[in-house]
Amino acid sequence: MNDQHSGKFPHLDCAECERRLQDYLDGGLAKPESMQIFLHVRECARCAAELKRLEDLVALLEALPAHEPPRDFDARVLAAVPYASYRAMARLRRARVPVFLEADRLPAWIRSPAVRYGGLAAAAVAAAAAVTDLAPAGVLAIAAVGLVPEAATLLQGLGRRVALAVGQPRNGA
Amino acid sequence: MFDRRADLKTIRRCKLGEEDAFQEILARYRAPIYNLCWRMTRNDEDARDLAQEIFIKTFTLLDRFDEQFAFSSWLFRIATNHCIDHLRRHRLRFLSVERDGGGDDEEAEMQIAAVGPEPDVELERREALERLEEVIGELPPHYRVITLLRHDQQLSYEEIAESLRLPLGTVKARIHRARNMIQQLLAARKYDI
Ligand SMILES: [Zn+2]
Repeated sequence: MNDQHSGKFPHLDCAECERRLQDYLDGGLAKPESMQIFLHVRECARCAAELKRLEDLVALLEALPAHEPPRDFDARVLAAVPYASYRAMARLRRARVPVFLEADRLPAWIRSPAVRYGGLAAAAVAAAAAVTDLAPAGVLAIAAVGLVPEAATLLQGLGRRVALAVGQPRNGA
Repeated sequence: MFDRRADLKTIRRCKLGEEDAFQEILARYRAPIYNLCWRMTRNDEDARDLAQEIFIKTFTLLDRFDEQFAFSSWLFRIATNHCIDHLRRHRLRFLSVERDGGGDDEEAEMQIAAVGPEPDVELERREALERLEEVIGELPPHYRVITLLRHDQQLSYEEIAESLRLPLGTVKARIHRARNMIQQLLAARKYDI
């Protein structure tokens, strides 16, 4: 359009300014570009007026009065919600894996790596002792107890995988 | 603008069939969705019906909600599509209502002006808002809805892009275009904002 200011601001004429004005308004321009517009608008009355018009429009758009929904709005919606089928589906979802196979059914301390690896180490030491000098039954008991956390975690994980494979396939969103 | 985490928690409770959870979603979104519908149709009855249908649709399709997106985006997407479908289906009726309604609006405006000892500035501003609503009602539906999502619902460009599954550039271009159209429509009616 009118480029009368292109001499003063060689990088930005009115047409270019107008093209970027909306991005400028939205704060979507990089700093140097934003500065160019700022400077151009300060000198150019026409583009300044255009910016003002846009700013006023946005301010007005954001001040549109709210309309109140009627008081009995919720009733019809809530009456149509299929609660029963959600509850039924929730039960099905839960039934896919038997409760004792849910990950958090095992106490956290049993699942903790420290307990599991500590137990394994204790079991290995005790087993070694038992093999070398035919130790009393107590040493074998230590080995057995040491194996418990790892075995429990392993069994539960295995059980979950089997249950999921046998049950219905995972449904996507 | 909307709390994505809180929404997800509530939606998971909805999926368990907890009645309170549906009420919570309504409390959060009743007003925004109703207002969107009102401005799309400019009519109390249609707005109520559309907004209720949108919630019913949303609440019966919860199993299809993909948790990697914000619930608000999904809801606004359903709302947008529903409103635009409605306008398409009722285009003829809609146009005639618009035309019939014109005279009444003007009369109502004049009555308000006659009764109210309102200060000029306040009155002018209210008239400007009324004209703006009127002009927004004339934008093509896709431009209308995107303008409302941005400026009435105050969604970010990114949220709008997610809601409408449009590239960010398209969203920006449409909003810019819509603002230009609004200015042209206001100018064509010799309205000054
Ligand atoms: Zn200029």
